[in-house]
Formats: sequence, C-alpha cells, structure tokens
Amino acid sequence: MATSNWKSKLSAGLIYLLLLIWLIITGYPLIFMLQNSLKGNIEFYTTPVWSFTSFRVDNYQEVITSGFYWYFINSIIVCTAAVFIIIIAASLASYIIVRVDWQLKHFVYLLFVAGMMIPIHSTLIPVYKLTLSLGLYDTLAGLVGPYVAFSLPVSIFILTGFMREIPREMEEVAFIDGANYYQLFTRIIFPLLKPAIATIAIYNLTLLWNEFAYALVLTSSPEKRILTLGLFEFQSAYGVDIPKTLTALLLSVIPLLIMYIFFQERVIKGMTAGAVKG
Amino acid sequence: MLFLLPAAFFFLLYLVVPIPVSGYYSLFKWDGIGTLNFIQLDNWKRLLSDDVFWLAVSNNFKLVIISIIGQIPIALILAVLLTRKLSGVNFFKTVFFIPMLISSVAVAFLWRYMYDPTFGLINAVLEGIGLESWALSWLGDTGVVFYSIAIAVCWRFIPLYMIIFMAAISGISEQLYEAARIDGASPFQSFWKITLPLLLPTMINAVVLVIVGSLKYFGMVYALSGGGPNHASEVMATYMYTKSFTELRMGYGSTISLSLFLIAFVVSVFFLALTKRSIRD
Amino acid sequence: MRKKMIMLGMAFAMFCLLLFSGLALARTTLVVWDIMTESNQYYPAFDAANARFRELYPDVELKHVPIQNDNYKTKLRTAMAADNTPDIFMTWGSAGLKKYVDNNKVYDLTDDLSKEWQARFAPAAMGLGNFDGRQYGLPITNTAVSLLWYRKDMFEKYGLTPPQTFEELLAVGQVLKQNGITPFALANKNKWTGSMYFMYLVDRIGGPGTLQKALNRSGAFNDAPFIEAGQKLQQMVDLGFFPKGVNGLDEDTGQSRALLYADKAAMYLMGSWFVGVVKLENPAIMDKMDFVVFPAVKGGRGNPGNLVGTFGDLYFSISADSEHKEAALNYLKLISDDTMAQELVKAGCIPPLTGSAKYIDDPVLQKVAEIAQRAESVQLWYDQSLPLELTQVHLNTTQALFDKSITPEEAANKMEATAQEYFGK
Repeated sequence: MATSNWKSKLSAGLIYLLLLIWLIITGYPLIFMLQNSLKGNIEFYTTPVWSFTSFRVDNYQEVITSGFYWYFINSIIVCTAAVFIIIIAASLASYIIVRVDWQLKHFVYLLFVAGMMIPIHSTLIPVYKLTLSLGLYDTLAGLVGPYVAFSLPVSIFILTGFMREIPREMEEVAFIDGANYYQLFTRIIFPLLKPAIATIAIYNLTLLWNEFAYALVLTSSPEKRILTLGLFEFQSAYGVDIPKTLTALLLSVIPLLIMYIFFQERVIKGMTAGAVKG
Repeated sequence: MLFLLPAAFFFLLYLVVPIPVSGYYSLFKWDGIGTLNFIQLDNWKRLLSDDVFWLAVSNNFKLVIISIIGQIPIALILAVLLTRKLSGVNFFKTVFFIPMLISSVAVAFLWRYMYDPTFGLINAVLEGIGLESWALSWLGDTGVVFYSIAIAVCWRFIPLYMIIFMAAISGISEQLYEAARIDGASPFQSFWKITLPLLLPTMINAVVLVIVGSLKYFGMVYALSGGGPNHASEVMATYMYTKSFTELRMGYGSTISLSLFLIAFVVSVFFLALTKRSIRD
Repeated sequence: MRKKMIMLGMAFAMFCLLLFSGLALARTTLVVWDIMTESNQYYPAFDAANARFRELYPDVELKHVPIQNDNYKTKLRTAMAADNTPDIFMTWGSAGLKKYVDNNKVYDLTDDLSKEWQARFAPAAMGLGNFDGRQYGLPITNTAVSLLWYRKDMFEKYGLTPPQTFEELLAVGQVLKQNGITPFALANKNKWTGSMYFMYLVDRIGGPGTLQKALNRSGAFNDAPFIEAGQKLQQMVDLGFFPKGVNGLDEDTGQSRALLYADKAAMYLMGSWFVGVVKLENPAIMDKMDFVVFPAVKGGRGNPGNLVGTFGDLYFSISADSEHKEAALNYLKLISDDTMAQELVKAGCIPPLTGSAKYIDDPVLQKVAEIAQRAESVQLWYDQSLPLELTQVHLNTTQALFDKSITPEEAANKMEATAQEYFGK
C-alpha cells in the first residue's frame, strides 16, 4: 500500500512536470504579447523584446477608444451567426449520412469531404462575383455564406466520425416506440453529440474569428469591418506601431478565450452527465 | 432528405461552383482584369515542367509527414494527461489551447522574434549554453527555413487535435477502466489496451485532417517567409497566391489551385480507403 | 422539436436582417479608396482634406475607405476584376496603373486638367500617371529617393568618413566588420530592400540609360553592367557586409532598423521616408544619423549625383464608370491644392506639388529635396518601371544573389530570357 502511494505520487509529479513544460511552451505567447503591448513604440525598438520594461496602459486606452469596439461587435455577429448555422446544417447532414440508409450516401459523404481540399484563396474571385450579384457585397451577411460553406466539410467530417461511435440501440428502441427521424434526431442524437458539437463550435470559431481573405474582399466600408481587418489598421506603409498591434491582438483573443472556457465546461458536463457512457 | 438541404445549399453555392470556374480559367492566359486569352492546355503543360511547383508539392508532403509525426503523438499524450482527474487540469486545458486562439498574424509575429538571428530567443538560449554553432538564421537559410516554419505550424495546431482527442476520450466508458483496474492493469497498460484501440477511428480522422490541412496550408508560411527565400519554403497555396494576386496570372493560378485540390483529394481518399481496409482486417 | 424550429427560424430572420441592412445605402456618395489608415504617416493631411471637402460640398456624401497597404492591391484588383470600382482610387502609377488603363477602367483626366491645375504638379512627377500623352493619375505624394544613411557617432568612433567610391565603401565596411559591427542593416525578405543595392550598382556602372536600353531592347538584361552589379553585390556578401539570415528578416516589422538602433549595424540604404519612420520609432537616433548618396564605381559611367527613387509615389485616379465625375474632380482638385501641400509637408512628406518647397523647414528633408532637385537623373524603382512579369524575376533573382544561390551571370540570363519571352524578341 505504501509503495503504491509513493508510486502514484511520483507519477502525478511526473504528469505535472510534463504539463508545466507544455504550459511554458504554449502560454508564453500571451506573456510576450502582454509585455510588448505595455511598451511605447519607441521603447519597443530600443529595448529587448523579451523583457518587461514598462507598464503603460496608453495603448489599451487608445485601442479601446478607436473604432475597434465596432469591429469586435461585427466579428461576434458574423461568427455567431455562421457557427450557429454550421452546427444545425452539419449535424442534420451528418445524421442523414450516417444513420439513414440511402443509395447515394457514400457519394454525398465523399463530396462533402472533398470540400475540405478546396483552398480558400482559389474561390475568392468566383465568390466575390457571386456576392456582388446576390447584392450581398459590403454586408455582414455576405460573409456568413462563405464562412458556413467553408466550415461545413470539416464539421461534417468530425461529426460523422463521432456519430458512428454512438451505439444504435437507443434509437432502435425509440424507433420501435414510434418516433420519426426528426424526433430521433432532436431527442437522442443531438444531445449525445454535445461534446462533438462543442468541438466543432470551438474549431470553427477559432478559424472564422481569424479569417481574413474573404473579409478583405467582400466588405468595404469601415463600419462593416471585422476584427482581423481592423488589426491591420495599426500597420502602415512606412512604419508599424507594433505595441499597439499587439494590444489589439491581445484584446481580440479575450472573447475567444471566454467562449472556450464556457464550451470547455459544456464538454466536461456532457461527459459527467453520463449520456455517452452507455 | 430535407435534413441535407441547408448544408447542400451553402456547399453547392460557395464551394462546388468555384471548382469548374477554376477549371475554366485554367485554360486561359488572364490577368484578372482584361480579356481572357484561350491558350488550351498551355498552363497545364507549363505546370508539369515548373520546378517551383514541384518543389512546393514536395514541401507540402514534407509538411504532412512532419505534422503527423509532430502533432498527433503530442496531442494524444496531452489529451490523456488532461482527462485524468487531477486538480488544476482546467487551468492547463485553457492555457494549452491558446495557440489556436491567437490569430496567425500574432503567432507569426511571435515566431519571427523567436527566430530573429540577432535578437531572437532561440539563438540567445543556444549561445547561452555554448552552442553558438547551432545558432542558425532560422528563416534566412534556404536549408532550414522550411523546418522552422513547420515547427511553428505544429505548435499552432497541436491544441486542435488535443481537444478532438479529449472529446473522444471523454466518450470512452469509465467502466472499462474500472474493470481493467480490478484486473490489476497499470494505467500504462489500460492506455495501450483500452484508450488507444478505442481512439483509433478518431486518430484516423485526425490524420485525415492533418493531411488535408497540411496540403492546403497557407497562413503561417505566407506570414513568416512568403514562400521564400528563393522558394525554399514555398507550398502550393502560397505559390498559387503569388501567381494569382502578386503576378496577376489568374489563369496559371487557377491551374495551381485546381491541381492542389486534385492532389489533396486523391491523397485523402487513398488514405481513407487504406485505413478502412486495415480496420476491417 | 418546436424549440429547434424556432431557433432555425431565428437564424433565418437574422440572415435576412443582415442582408437588408446592407442594401440601405444608395444615395449620391463619393467613394474613395486609399491606404490612409490612421497609422499612416500622411493620415493627418488626408484627414484634414476630407474634412474640408465635406464642408465645401455638403451635398456629396464622402465615403473614405482606408485600407492597409499590403492588402490594398489585392482588394483593388479583385474589385477591378468584377467591375465594382470606387469613384476614386489610389495606385503607385506606372505599370500597375497602366494595366487598369489598358482595360478601360480609368477615366482620362487630360481634358479636365486646366493649365492652372496642371501647373500645380511638378512635371517630373506626372510621367508615371501619363500613358501615350494622356493623364490618368495625379501625383499627390511624395518625392522619395534611396539614400545611404549612416551612424555619425559610429563613423567617428572608428575614424571613418562616409564613402565616396565603392572601393572606399568596401574599406569602411571591413573596418566596421573588424569591430564586430555589421556594416549594413538590411531586411531582405521583402526583396525590394535588397533591390536598391542592385539598382544603384547598375546605375553607377552602366550609367542612367542602362535599364532603358534593356527595356527598349536596344540592350539586354545580361549586358555587362547588370552582371558586374551582381558581382559587386556578391563581393559585399562575401565580405559579410549584411546581417546574418538577411533574406529571412522582415522590413515591415523593423528587423533591419532594430540593428541600427541597437548599435549593431552602421549603414542603411533606404528611401528618404526613413526620416518619418525614425521620428515614430526612435527620434533620439536621428541626431546621430546623416546620409550621403550612393558611392561612385571606379570606371563606371554613372554620375554619383544620380538617384534611384521616384518624384511621385501615390497617384490618384477616377474610375471610368464613376457616376460622380464632377464630385470626383472636385476631390482631386482639393487634395492637390496649396493647403494640402502645406499639410503634407507638416506630415514629413516632400509633395510633388508646386510651391511646397517653401513650407519645408526640417533640415534633413530640405537636404533631401535639394539633392533630388539637383539630380541629373532619377532612376525609377525597378519594381515600378518593369512590367509585372519582369519585376518578379528581378526581385527573386536579386534576393537569390544575396544568399549566393545564383551567380550574377545566371541571374542576368534569367532576366533576359524572361524579357525575350515578354517582349517577343
């Protein structure tokens, strides 16, 4: 008993050591951004980037009071709308592909998966023309379409993977009880998919939050700008205010971080609720 | 069938339509503004003998291999560690995900300063421990630049696979581990006997994601090196972008993008077919 | 089930709402695209001009859309490709503008240029906006020439004088090198930075007509001056004159200037806008900086007074399909008036506008303006004077010269081969 206690303490210590090493490797960027965002532009160029040299909050004040706030709201609107549609469309489609038997299902699955291979930049000009002809140019709605389209294949790919692991028994029981496909989906599949849905929500949010190419060409007026475009306003042709750019970048991470923590809780809840324990 | 409608709508409109359009453009010499000059298959012939394109293709495949070796195992280990019931795990989970949250502009910026040959942290550390000769110009040396970028890419994407694995592990029944413990299996044994086999489908999916992601990767390569110096770190997507939007050769750019699509498609279908068979056996 | 339906409905409603919010704007608005974001050096001047315009023409709604420099070109090209152009847009003149002119996207300003208005612009700057005798773009900013900046204090410390000839340059560099200092600060990921050395060497060796001859095909891109320039460049590379990993350093994040500020490099071949950049980044160092023109090469045909650079930098044009040409012309007139010239000078610019010289009171800018006025020839940047296809080859081969992955002969032959393909001879 004593030895196993000693052993488990050692292994716990080892785990913490590993975690600590990785903590430094991944957590450092935040510190890097923080230490340099607190500097003035002149100071940035004259002090080592790896040091804390001052604690000015001027950059934060300036960034927050600039138009930045609106870019934030725009980003939140576009990304939530897109992620919302993605979750519904992808889980519905995955259900049809995995659970319903029909002839073309393998073909459709392959088609969606093939969508993952399309490089985003190659669709810029066709999508631009399409957006113009739909009258969606320079609107936030114009961004939602391509964002949803580009996130769907990966989301369907991940969701179908998870769905295949869910045992069929529960559905069969419900089916015998007279439930239709719609009820099966909303009452059984969708709740069971929660961890996977949280995963694709996080995944797509992080990608869309940082998306740039479409936002650049599909919107124009400053009041329709999203965050990634706004970040570039601190850079110009002849000089760069790096501390201010870093301030803006750091501030842009915060909402994502909050959402991540929130979703993280959902994942854990989903698993402790025992739904998947089967 | 109605369930497919929303997905199919967006998918067809924004993703499927551009493909034949690219195919059409690839038959022309076109600067993106002026008239389209029909040149038959000249763009395709040129592509086949374009050394830079093939260099980019081989870099993409190198990136696939480095990413599979570098990302999947680390992500798996982290996921296993983080799904154990230890205090403080939530804190680690949050911090570990940070590289995915920060936009690639910022991540590239950070790594640019890590790699700076004069002021950079990496060289400072190497010189500090007496390994001056290892202090390279990480982004300036054509022999090294690609690997420097690949490391930064791995660093950025490990958290993604980490959460995918975590979600999958959380789906494994606790009772299985309980039973194994009663049978006297060590945590290490139960990892090999229970976690790993049950994670196999998820791992295959993760590998597919890595393959696809690496083949069409653009962001950090563009931000850190722009594909240079002297095309040393060129990948298909950066080459396509340079051709289309810097040199304004939209026709040739479309040719590259279509071949990127075809290559990625063939490779991942091949991989999926391969793994399906091996699972059945 | 009902809950899901409601949620779906909400999503759809939200989508529609977003859709219509974008359709609301359809009045007489004048849309202007340029790169004058708030962090741009010249932002104050353009901001003041926009305010004046709004006051003078209250019936026109001015919609000024500033876009960050790197992204601007992609955005403008995509818009041009889809015939969705702003009323007024900005370019860098020359080949980039010509492409749009050739495709009838740009309004011909010639007939609207009254004598009076024409006289507002320095004649030397008009050329880049002029094709076949028709004026399509008007230069608003900036005389910019490439100069050899150096740290006075470091030169003093090591008993050096600014080099007058290439041989002196080599000697100066070697002394610096022996003292553990990198002679030149350079970040060449961006390629145009290293191109400055090549352009100057070609000019000093072959004289100002060298590039022109190669372009009009009475000469070639593998003529002796181009090869010799490559050799001299690689001589500097061999002597270790450039920072370690120079092709991986990024000018846009200041990795070159950082070396200069940290006393690790002593010289910097850079455009005259450097004055404005230093003011933003490290004003204290300006007192320690001075510049000379690029040294002469012994036996070369280029006068060391010749410069590489441009008289006009940013050119403003009107779209051919703009429906508000009159308002657009009024805007162009306003951003080329005397008040604008004054404002631009205040922002550290040497505007290509007549009569702006009298407003310049910064001694360094005065000196730059003088040298530019006196220059017998100002060779336009290669990346502006060459057609796009050749520009890329020039930039790529020059970058390759810096890491010696190509020989001067190979680089020159590659240029010539591309030129033959492009010109058809």
